[in-house]
Formats: sequence, C-alpha cells, structure tokens
Amino acid sequence: MREETRLINETTNRILSDLCTPGVVDATESGQFATQLWQTLDENGLILAGLPEHLGGAGGEMGDSLTVIRCAARFAAPIPIAETFIAASLANFVGATSFSGGVVTVANGEFELSENNTLTGKANAVAFARWAERIYIPAQQQGASVLCVVDRDEVKLTEQVSIAGEPRDAIEVNLVIDAADIYQAPSGLQDYARRLGAMTRSVMMSGALESALELVVDYSLTRQQFGRSISKFQAIQHQLATMAGEVAASIRAADSLIQLQQPVELEVAFAKSRVGQACGPCAEVAHQVMGAIGYTLEHHLNHRTRRLWCWREEYGNERQWQELIGHEMCRTGADELWPRVASL
Amino acid sequence: MFQGLNFEPVVLPETADALRKEVRAFLDEETGWFPNSDFNTGASAEFSQRLAKRGWVGMTWPKKYGGSERSFLERYVVTEELLAAGAPVAAHWIADRQSGPLLLKFGTEEQRQRFLPPITRGESFFSIGMSEPDTGSDLASIRTSAVKVDGGWLVNGSKIWTSGAHLNHYMVALVRTEPASENRHAGMSQLLIGFDDPNVTVRGIKNLAGESDFNQVFFDDVLVPDDQVIGEPGNGWVQVISELGYERSGPERFLSSFLVIQELLREVGSNPTDEQAALIGKLVAELVTLRRMSISVAGMLEEGKAPNTEAALIKELGNTFERVVPEIVRPVLPQDASANFLATLNDAILHAPSFTLRGGTREILRGVIARGLGLR
Repeated sequence: MREETRLINETTNRILSDLCTPGVVDATESGQFATQLWQTLDENGLILAGLPEHLGGAGGEMGDSLTVIRCAARFAAPIPIAETFIAASLANFVGATSFSGGVVTVANGEFELSENNTLTGKANAVAFARWAERIYIPAQQQGASVLCVVDRDEVKLTEQVSIAGEPRDAIEVNLVIDAADIYQAPSGLQDYARRLGAMTRSVMMSGALESALELVVDYSLTRQQFGRSISKFQAIQHQLATMAGEVAASIRAADSLIQLQQPVELEVAFAKSRVGQACGPCAEVAHQVMGAIGYTLEHHLNHRTRRLWCWREEYGNERQWQELIGHEMCRTGADELWPRVASL
Repeated sequence: MFQGLNFEPVVLPETADALRKEVRAFLDEETGWFPNSDFNTGASAEFSQRLAKRGWVGMTWPKKYGGSERSFLERYVVTEELLAAGAPVAAHWIADRQSGPLLLKFGTEEQRQRFLPPITRGESFFSIGMSEPDTGSDLASIRTSAVKVDGGWLVNGSKIWTSGAHLNHYMVALVRTEPASENRHAGMSQLLIGFDDPNVTVRGIKNLAGESDFNQVFFDDVLVPDDQVIGEPGNGWVQVISELGYERSGPERFLSSFLVIQELLREVGSNPTDEQAALIGKLVAELVTLRRMSISVAGMLEEGKAPNTEAALIKELGNTFERVVPEIVRPVLPQDASANFLATLNDAILHAPSFTLRGGTREILRGVIARGLGLR
C-alpha cells in the first residue's frame, strides 16, 4: 500500500470512528442526513481525495478515493461519498474544468437531451438523491454522449429506500438545461459510469465484509453458551473460517481496483464478480453465528449485511459481470486462456 | 484487522515475462504425457531431469548447492506454467518445494552439500513422511519411533499415503525420538531415510483412479546415521510447521482442475450461451483472485516471513475451488461434449477427493484459520 494511501485510510478511519456511530447510521434511516460526518470528511479533503485539484480534489490517485470509500463502508457510512466520486470522475472524464462540489449524486437511466437542450428521462434508485444539491446525469444527444448537471430542486423526486434503508430515490426530469451545465462526452460515458459504480460497490462490499467479520468474531468470543464462549465450538470456528476465506479473497479482489489508474473493464468485472458472490454466504454465516440478536434492528450487524445485499445488486450483479468475463474469455479461446490469466 | 487476512498486492519481477516464455518454449518441445494439472499426477524422472538442466529445480537455492539463486516469485512463474500445461512434475515436486528449503533452513552444511546438488540435477527425489496408519490429521499422535543407538537412530514403525515412495530416493520422516509426554508436540524429530535401505519396505496402494501413486512404508530396525537427522533432535514439530508456508500456498493448491476450465472453453467455442459464459466468468474471476493471493504469499516467503495463516487460507479457498470445478461445469456442458473433454473432466472428478485431504485436510486448515482469527 502506498504511504499516502495508508495515511488516508488512518485519517478516514479515525473520523468515522468518532462520527459514524451506529446511532448516526440509524438516524439516517429516520431521515436525517449525517451532516457533521460529511462536513468533517470534506474539511479533511477526503471526499474527493483522488480527484485533481482543479475539480476540487486533493490531487491523489483514484485508489485514494476508493480507499476512503472502502473505509466509509466499514462503518456503513450513510453518505453519498461513492456517488460524489463517480460524479467528479465523470466530470474529469468529459474534461470539465471545474466541479460543483457539495453533496452530489449520479442518476443512471434513460435520458435524452434534445436539440434545444431539453433533458427528459427518468431513473430509479438514485442514491441519496433527496439530500443531493446537484445530480449528474449521463444522457444521449442525437446519438452522442453528454453529461448534464441539474439541480435536485428542479427534478421530480419520489422518495424510495433500498433494502439497506438508504435513500434510493426515483427521479423524473423534463427541463431545459443551461449550456454551461452540459458537457460533450467521449462515447461510452454510460459504460464508464457503470464501471466506476461497480468499482465503488466492490470496494464497499469488501469493507463491509471485513467489518461484519470483526463484529461476529468479537461476538463469538464473548457470547457464552454451555459454559464456554461459542468461539470454542468447532462448528462455529469452521463457519467463521469459511467466512474469513471469502473476506480475504474479497479484500484482495478490491485491492486490485485500488491499484488501478482507470476503471479497466475486466478488472472491474473480476472484482464485482468475486466480491459480489461472497456477500450471500458471508451474511449467512454472520447471522447464523450471531443468532437472534443479529437479526434485530437494534444490533448494528444489519448495517453491514443489509448494505451487502443492496450493493451486490447495484451497477450489475455478479452474474452480469461474470457473463462479460466469460464471453471475453471465450473470444480469447482455450489455447490463450492461460496466457491471458498469467498476464493479469 | 485480523492477522493473516491481508494479501498485499505483489508485482512479479521484470524478469518474469522472459522466464515465462522460456518455460513455454521448453514445454512446447515436451510430449508424450496426458496433461493433468494435478501436481501429484504424473511423475517422470526424465522430465524432471530435463527441467533441472534448465535450472528450474531448486532454482531459489544458493549456487554453491546447484541452485540458480532466483527469487520465489520467479519460481512461482515456473511452477504455475508447468501446472497450467499439465506437465508431469510429481517426481521432483516435494524435494523442490519443501525438502530442499527445509535442509537450507535446518540442515547442516554437510547435509546441504550432500543432498541439495543431486536434487537440482533432477536425480534425487523426496517424499514426505508424516501420516501413519493410526495418524492422519492428528500428527502429534505419530508412533514411528527412533531410538538412539551407537552412531545413529534405530527406526521402527510405518508411514502411509506416501506419494512417490516407490520412485523416490529419500523420505523426510517425522518420528518420535522421545516417548509421548504431557507436551504432545515435544520429542519429535525429522530424519532422512533412504528408500534403498533393505529394512525399508514400500507397498503400493491404488487410489480410486486406479493409479499407484501413494504407498505404505514400513521401517523394520532401520539404522539412520546421526548425520541424517535434520536439525535438533526434538525440534521436529517446529520444523514441520515451518514447511507449511511452502506446502500450502503455491499454485498447486488451486490449479489442479485448471484443464477442465481450459477444455470447457474449447467445447463451448467462441459463442457460448450466457449461462456457459457466466460460469466461465465466475471461475476465471475466482482463479485470478486466488492467483494474486498466492503471489502475495510468494512475496512474503521471499521476504523471509512465515505466512502460515495466509497459506492455510489459500489452500482452503483454492482446494474448494479446484474440487468444485468439475462438479459445477457439468450442468452447462454441451450435449455433444467431446471424448477429449470427458476424459479431462473424468480425470478431475476421480482426483478431486484428494484435493481437500492432502497437505492438511479442510478441517485442519479451518482450525488454523480459526486460530488466526483468535478463536482458539
């Protein structure tokens, strides 16, 4: 790990330990945005750690942002830090010279920009849209890709929540966009957004998996049954060992993304596939070992497992990415499979 | 964060590409074996000798013992290329992977000079002597004994599941040099025992695939000279544990079924169904991740660390992967799967039960991982 990355991880970890308590996460579900947490991360230059300075970032690498995002996920931070990263990275991709900053999100859906710059379309499950100041929207204009920026106040918003209780709102847009808020984009903007999104979800899942394992291991060491801690039972040890394997593989798969300078499609696919498939089995072990208390809203294990169930579906679930890898490998062919794998 | 769950990314050295090409060119010239990526299936002394001529046996060892002083990461490249090609590597595998490194770590100078150069020439092959008829996973319960006599140790007892004993030259045997005591791990030692000793009897055992790769080995008053004790008498347990990082973390722990994946690609061609593609994608994503974890551990070994929990994690994940491959490809096979593919598939099915047994059972590995998590 780069020294800068290590430092970023430590700082983020410290801030989140203080400001992202289970109470703060719960409060979000009741409709309160974690303002202090957001502002503190922002003041410390962590929200856009990996973005260039002219976009309001700290000038680090993409991996720095992903490190912050993974760390936030360990604490189930209910803030659109991944969405802000995606939006800013899209701005960077289209060559924008500035970025609005603040709380922003991204809408992925069917959007069309007409000749006279009227943006129409809708999107479901727009993360944290209700708390965003602006929404970044990849759209099509006469077959070309454009990136549009709209004020949240100007869209029709229907509040919805994810399986994790986080805002995933539906939006509808029908408005004329100011030319200054339209960026001509290289083709493949939507695909680029999807890859960025899958990257964030992969590192987020790896973070949540890691913290779920910590929670459940701690619990097994303190919970007494039959006169001893349940960690002493082989049945428990083997379940947790299995989970640890999945978690270790997930961390390693996510680490590969943190090393990238660009969201390379195949790498994103490997990570989303590998980490995504770990979520179900790991959540199962965590809940089984923790018993009924882990099934309550009161215990914060649910902050992790519910997010895992949400994130594994977002930006393409593992099956969709696996198809992509598989078709690519079949084009490569049997005799070139090993050389391809060995080159990765 | 737990100990042993972190597999820091390691980049292969710049020399890796050229080395990889050399190994592939070497393998292109080699013929005459049915490819199988299982490291334990297919022993050819001649193949191992030709490999050794290229400097690829004992390649990390000092030159004065016949090694090439290459890095663990370079060795990684060679071993994964051999396995992916399904080459017959079993003859030299154990000596190269762990007997040699054991001697480098604990052996005397005289032992290194005597035993290592023949290994690097592909002329001396080793077996592991751990399990016994009444001792499988519970290694501390071994009963094969070595009693001190004038000039050496008198060994009696038996080892079992000894791969290659009928072809190899030496066994590194873990034996009791003191009776079992309160401390179960005390009083064990490692001895080098030659299979050519008339008091050593090797009896083949057929595995369910019909092959005789493992054996039971009997010791009947076998006199092992003092200079064939490895390390300090009584230090056997510590030494055995130190081999585990090498034994459990390599590409042989997840590549055993690789050819099933490769040949599945041949079967489905360039235009697979989405279901076939998804399965291939899942397997390749797992394979790529396992490989990167394994390379991380090769990097740790290069740095002189003892990544035992990491190695156990790779073996647990890797064995689970290679065991399940032949099972989960079955439902997506084309109706008209070729005879060649079915031969590869059946070969993997027949060998798969051994993957999660050899080198530490799944149950033992999970125990090691649980210890790493602080549960025991």
